[in-house]
Amino acid sequence: MVARLTLSAADKRVWSIIGGIVLLGALFIPLSQLLFDMRFTYTVRVVALGGAVLGLLSGVLGSFAVLRQESLLGDALSHAALPGVAIAFLLAGRELSWLLIGAGIASWLGLRFLSAILHTTRLKQHTAMGIVLVAWFAAGIALLTYIQSIPDASQAGLDHFIFGQAAAIIESDVTLVSAVGIFVLLTVALLWKEFKLVAFDPEFAGANGYRIGLINALLSTLIVVAVVLGLQLAGVILMAGMLIAPGIAARQWTQSLDQMVILAAVFGAFAGAVGAVVSALDSDIPTGPMIIVVSFLLVLFSITLAPGRGLLWSRLRQRANRRRFAAINTLRDLYRYALSHGAEDYPAPDDFIRGVRASSIESGLRQLRAAGHIMEAGAGWRLTESGIAQARRDRRNQSLWDLYRLHGDELSLPAIQEDRQLDIAAVLPAAALELLESKLKPNESL
Amino acid sequence: MMPLERWLIELLLNIVTRDELNAFLRSPQNSAALVGGLIAVSGALLGAFLLLRGLSLTSDAISHTVLLGIVIAFLLMTEVFRLPGDTSSPWLILGASLAGVATVLLTEMLYRSGLVRQDAALGLAFPLLFAIAVILVSRYVEDAHLDEDAVLVGEIGLAWANTNSHCFSNCESVTISPDHDAAKFARRCSNCRELGISPRDERARFTEICSNCREYTPAQAWSAGLLEREPALVFFPKSITVMLVLTLLTLVFVLAFYKELKLSTFDAGLAQALGLRPGALHYVLMILVSLVAVGAFDAVGSILVIAFFIIPPAAAYLLTDRLSLMLLLSPFIGAAGAIFGYDLARGQLFGLIAIADGIAALNRLFDLALPEKWDSSISASMVLMMFILFLLTWLLSPRYGLLSTVIRRAKRRRVFENQVVLAHIHNHQHTATHEIELNVAGLHEHFRWSKQKMSRVLTRLRALGYVRILAGNAVLTERGDRQVHAFRKTMLEAHNMPDLSG
Repeated sequence: MVARLTLSAADKRVWSIIGGIVLLGALFIPLSQLLFDMRFTYTVRVVALGGAVLGLLSGVLGSFAVLRQESLLGDALSHAALPGVAIAFLLAGRELSWLLIGAGIASWLGLRFLSAILHTTRLKQHTAMGIVLVAWFAAGIALLTYIQSIPDASQAGLDHFIFGQAAAIIESDVTLVSAVGIFVLLTVALLWKEFKLVAFDPEFAGANGYRIGLINALLSTLIVVAVVLGLQLAGVILMAGMLIAPGIAARQWTQSLDQMVILAAVFGAFAGAVGAVVSALDSDIPTGPMIIVVSFLLVLFSITLAPGRGLLWSRLRQRANRRRFAAINTLRDLYRYALSHGAEDYPAPDDFIRGVRASSIESGLRQLRAAGHIMEAGAGWRLTESGIAQARRDRRNQSLWDLYRLHGDELSLPAIQEDRQLDIAAVLPAAALELLESKLKPNESL
Repeated sequence: MMPLERWLIELLLNIVTRDELNAFLRSPQNSAALVGGLIAVSGALLGAFLLLRGLSLTSDAISHTVLLGIVIAFLLMTEVFRLPGDTSSPWLILGASLAGVATVLLTEMLYRSGLVRQDAALGLAFPLLFAIAVILVSRYVEDAHLDEDAVLVGEIGLAWANTNSHCFSNCESVTISPDHDAAKFARRCSNCRELGISPRDERARFTEICSNCREYTPAQAWSAGLLEREPALVFFPKSITVMLVLTLLTLVFVLAFYKELKLSTFDAGLAQALGLRPGALHYVLMILVSLVAVGAFDAVGSILVIAFFIIPPAAAYLLTDRLSLMLLLSPFIGAAGAIFGYDLARGQLFGLIAIADGIAALNRLFDLALPEKWDSSISASMVLMMFILFLLTWLLSPRYGLLSTVIRRAKRRRVFENQVVLAHIHNHQHTATHEIELNVAGLHEHFRWSKQKMSRVLTRLRALGYVRILAGNAVLTERGDRQVHAFRKTMLEAHNMPDLSG
């Protein structure tokens, strides 16, 4: 039981990243006031808080959209919200809750229309999404142009829904968003197991009696809610990016869903708050684009640097592997050449060995010489004592692996994963190894 | 572009007079419909292939990202080369469409890295590039032709106003030099700024500067009143030329590579094996999509343009199974959407329904005071019109339409009901229990149907002459008997079973 409670190194890393970012976020305002003497007015604080809450929500739900390969659905749904905003304004005036309800209805209708097209025609999902996206958006634009012709000052601010304008967020908005957000998060927490199943293996879930249709619909509805709430901040065009970017960034750091969702929430909150504050300080910069740029930087950072998956690490790993193989292969070539000429220290001509393995030979020879395994002999290379020993060990190890593959079942040896880079003695129990060694031919058992 | 325009106008002048041509082009409706129609034709031709290749949303990505190309090219033009900002310049179009192709490459690289799935790569790349473009536009570009509104909806309604002038006779270019009669002079303080003094200061020196000295094209000279005889001018909207060239390019491409496109769309492997280079074709397609997206930017902005790529081919796809027919139909649907869309923007739906009436009804219903005059975005209305046409196709298409599907299903259900009842009667009519099994009053219970449904089916069968009622029991007529046997036979043949009945 104790062993189960200790965290693996990877887990520890993820949790400490999460903790670090949360701490940094919490201390952001006091620290920057202290260090940079920045002034945070009441408005900017409200905007930062609103941005953080919205980013958190979209990070959580966006993770599921990313895992279900529905990244583009968020795009269609957010474009589809625009006519709802316009119609709600025409009918009920500029009251945020009504506008959001209108947006939600329009976006939900878009979702229904999408599945209607998919069920009744042979159009594929990408085409259907394109149709919903652009038709709903065009309706929204047409209505907004109409609204602009109404001589009434209160219409100002509706086009903030297109690119997002954080400066327009007031305290009551944040309260509203937080209330809905808590409800959404509670739902996610309660249906965690179901959502996890549907995201990874809907068929398995269905076979186990979960009502996948219902769970899917609920998850999509929650995504619509997140999209709609975020509209004021990120705008209809870029909301999709705000939805999925934190999820994609978080995905790079971890293999477990709970870590991914929490990390996505933290990333989202960070991007939302930073984007909102920057654009609130400079009214020329619309909020949505700023948030997207910040989130993309997070993605870029994660893709290159995330341990294990990150591009940088996999490049480094590839390079190390190439170097290792160069050395091993060169040693094998030299040894084989020597053996075929009758003596283990028979030198191989330089131009021959270069001809065999042109690309990696330089690195291989350099490494072997540095390790003292070979030395120059005239116009060629000769194995030293240690080189011969190393080559023998390698040859014996490879033969044992061959024998394991050949006789493993027959000798009923324990099943192990075949990895010829490893010393077979390290992965096979001693008794089993003895059995294998007995199969070695005498001239190989040296 | 200019010689091409001139050649085209000369061609047109053989058919119509100069005044007629000018009057036609000066009408906002004609120019808008022409530009919209051309975008629709080129978009629909390319979109058909995108749809069949499963790339519809790639046009979305491209149209979003060429915006960045346009903004960067525009900033280069105005800030670095000090040229007048003109979003329909050929250089800008070429430069910006490179950005579109670059995005396609970028997304492909992103998902080939294996870290991000394809949809996520698309969903990530284009909001980002679009976001950067919007930040650049709102922060650095101060130009009426390139602001956030233009990005969203374009200015197709103003297509008629942005023209090149061509002169055909009485062409006098006028150059006004300081010694010309018409030259006007203004006095300007030459050292005020240098010394930081006001022109009233006694140290101020003045020079005379000619305020209207420059070269005048015939059109400019005429409107400035410098010419006595009116030159024969034709004003040709730039957007029409741009879209005409792009449409021709698309048309030539599709016609010339029809076979290759068709094969690589439906069977890329075979195309590759036959040496048709589907990969290269893919990129040419992407380049053309980018070119059209940039060319259409002026008119319809960078988002609505995807409708021209997606909706008409989708509608045509519901009408036909033949690629050639689809390529023929989708431009028509698109062009019809563009032409009727103009009327929709002015409040008329197909000339049948006035939107003003609808708004008036809304006002009465909800007690609102909305203005009844509907004057809306032309490009958005064109898109809506295409969507309406798509809805109509979806509803009415003979093969894949909603209505025909419903009818087909209802017909199948009727046939099935008939067969079930006929088979039931056939099985029981000469047995001992036929009084119980075939009694009309209780027949519905054997099928677990409602009474209404049972009587409906029975009425239908009697009207067809398959069944009659004999002493309260249902009995097959001779015709009904034949029907049952014919059905048995086809069923047995369909399932490859021997007929064991006598």
